[in-house]
Amino acid sequence: MASRFSGALQLTDLDDFITPSQECIKPVKIEKTKTKTGAKIKIGDDGYFDISSGKEQKLQKVEITLADCLACSGCITSAESVLVTRQSQEELLRVFSERKYTDNKGVTKNVSLVVISLSPQPLLSLATRYKLSPEDATSKLAGYFKSLGADLVLDMTIAEDLSLLEAQQEFLQRYQDQQNDPTSKNLPMLASSCPGFVCYAEKTHGNFILPYISTTKSPQQIMGSLVKQYLSKTKEVTPGEVYHVTFMPCYDKKLEASREDFYSEMLNCHDVDCVITAIEVEQMLGNSNMSLSDAPAGSLDAAWGADEGPPGPRGRAGSGSGGYADHIFVHAAQQLFGESNVQLVYRNLRNPDFREVTLEKDGKEVLRFAIANGFRNIQNLVQKLKRGKSPYHYVEVMACPSGCLNGGAQVRPVTGESGRELVLQLEAMYAALPRASPDTRLAKRLYSEWLDGKDSDKAKAILHTGYHAVEKSDIALNIKW
Amino acid sequence: MARLELVQSLNGHKGIVWNVSWHPQGKIFASCGEDKTIKLWSNEGQEWIIKTVLVDGHQRTIREVAWSPCGNFLASASFDATTAIWDKKSGQFECNATLEGHENEVKSVAWSSSGQLLATCGRDKSVWVWEVAGEDEYECESVLNAHNQDVKKVAWHPTSDVLASASYDNTVKMYKEDPADNDWTCIATLQSHESTVWSLAFDKTGERLATCSDDRTVKIWKEYKPDNQEGVIVTGRESTWKCVCTLSGFHTRCIYDIAWCHKTGLLATACGDDIIRIFKESEDSDPNAPTFELICTKLDAHSQDVNCVTWNPIGNQELLSCSDNGEIKIWKLME
Repeated sequence: MASRFSGALQLTDLDDFITPSQECIKPVKIEKTKTKTGAKIKIGDDGYFDISSGKEQKLQKVEITLADCLACSGCITSAESVLVTRQSQEELLRVFSERKYTDNKGVTKNVSLVVISLSPQPLLSLATRYKLSPEDATSKLAGYFKSLGADLVLDMTIAEDLSLLEAQQEFLQRYQDQQNDPTSKNLPMLASSCPGFVCYAEKTHGNFILPYISTTKSPQQIMGSLVKQYLSKTKEVTPGEVYHVTFMPCYDKKLEASREDFYSEMLNCHDVDCVITAIEVEQMLGNSNMSLSDAPAGSLDAAWGADEGPPGPRGRAGSGSGGYADHIFVHAAQQLFGESNVQLVYRNLRNPDFREVTLEKDGKEVLRFAIANGFRNIQNLVQKLKRGKSPYHYVEVMACPSGCLNGGAQVRPVTGESGRELVLQLEAMYAALPRASPDTRLAKRLYSEWLDGKDSDKAKAILHTGYHAVEKSDIALNIKW
Repeated sequence: MARLELVQSLNGHKGIVWNVSWHPQGKIFASCGEDKTIKLWSNEGQEWIIKTVLVDGHQRTIREVAWSPCGNFLASASFDATTAIWDKKSGQFECNATLEGHENEVKSVAWSSSGQLLATCGRDKSVWVWEVAGEDEYECESVLNAHNQDVKKVAWHPTSDVLASASYDNTVKMYKEDPADNDWTCIATLQSHESTVWSLAFDKTGERLATCSDDRTVKIWKEYKPDNQEGVIVTGRESTWKCVCTLSGFHTRCIYDIAWCHKTGLLATACGDDIIRIFKESEDSDPNAPTFELICTKLDAHSQDVNCVTWNPIGNQELLSCSDNGEIKIWKLME
């Protein structure tokens, strides 16, 4: 079976041809008491038993979790099977029916609130697949999830807003730091919302490239914090009782949700418990022999208070991946150079997936931003950085060609339809969505009420994250001619 | 029966010699191997001697070397995950560009007929297409993840920008650029071999491809264009490649390399049974079911695995081979 991860992630896998001693190189800690002789182990039909102490003691089966896999430099495609068990449609349906889930740490918890957060890209993918308008698709999807047992179905507009606002702020800070110390690795700032790129960077380029990646969390993870930390309070439930599902355009988001960084020791839970994608929802509908239009109509919930705009998916200026380059450019032009109402004109470089935009002031170029989609363009960007030839201040990097609208888990084109046509259709739909701009009343209130203000320690702790280089282990056994 | 006469046996490398590559004019060739060096050989009088040794370009085994069609550049693919580009602009050969991106061992490198594109492949299962973007500048045009195992070899069509790759997943894949987004896509998968496909070679027209495999067979594939007269079904706009001939029963071990001479039409194979074999297409060969005759078997061509064979591009029946035992041999085919 072909891997479902993005190309960037597939490449980080070393080899699927695993030599016997190497099936999984993750060391597992086994608690044992010291004995004079070695352990005696009996193999029974129902497991392995340690009989060295005189009586049979069942040995615990070693389980490798997705989090283990992420922290390891070995295989990654094998992680898929781990992922499938924890983040599958079957698991989701089970949680709906049993109202219980087992987290990454193996702890089973009761669920009192199931929250589904919808990102706009997979929503549009399903709208196209079932020939519905985005509004109808939203309503049907909300109805469908509620019919399965979801308590709240939310859009992610506020999480996207906070992510954009924080990224804008972070850029200004990095720009100033770079002015103060031109040798520092503050610029170019690279977008952090694509887990395919982040994972690739951690596994293959390590500390060389990680300082450039924006520390601002992706909308998915900000939504996670909002749901588990803010919403759980207003709903008066413990964060662990909330089962939070996000609806996403790519499988790599499952890896992101499973990161240790997004597990709170204090709250004892992950920010996002399950990621479900457009393809999987299509399969779920197919398994019940239904089309999305057969689902009952429902409506999105308004969870944040009176100052929230009408719920529904929102489009962003600049790109179908969330408009990072555009929003940061506009903000920086105004804050740093006093230029308001800048018109952004992107130029295609070597291919339509590598575009750049510049700001000139007094005949001098002062800002240069780029959007680099797809693995080949990531490569060229990384090589430019390595050779010190990157002219950019900011790059919106996404691992999939055409960005998130073409995410790896969006519904595939039907036979006879080209992938390109489908992406163009999705781009047109996205551009026609009601536009949102991030600086809303709700965002302001959340900053003051929940985050102790912009730039506060709390905002930094909740809206930012960190990255970790994964050390490579090169084992001689790996070599094949 | 034809015979291969040894012109000269060359010892210069320490350890395995993995690959030898003729300069387009056929007066120089390059060799590489386990000792991390590239040696350039030329014919002085009656003797082939080492003219230049390129060192310090790679940190691990050099698996393959390839001359650009103009003969001014030499590319070397190494297990250190890089591909180096060497040129002589300064008067002597120097590495002036390095293609980085493969996750680990690079197994093969090839220049397109125009010299504007390069392809590399390797253990990370990917095939990369690079474009010459300026002096000592190379940009990645595409990263192709079509294979699901180690990719052993890449080869370009002799006249157009069509690329073929051979893999441990037993298949051969072909690619070309999609003008809509300048990205490359897999346009054909050639399935018939039952084990690793180690190497492949186009004939001079590019309408036929020869592949060799660990399954001890050589296969000849023919391109059927969408409007073909033979009635072969082609779905979509891209040609279908059909296996029209399988040479089995000749080789007793894995076949590591195959060379198809664009001047003489002769096929040469390098085999793990230490033998070099030469095949010639029959006079009355049917284009849709061609037949090839084994015209020469050089027993004990080397004392160990023959890793590579390559015909002198000028068509003088000269053949180069190299082996695990550190030897390079130059042969002349006498028909």
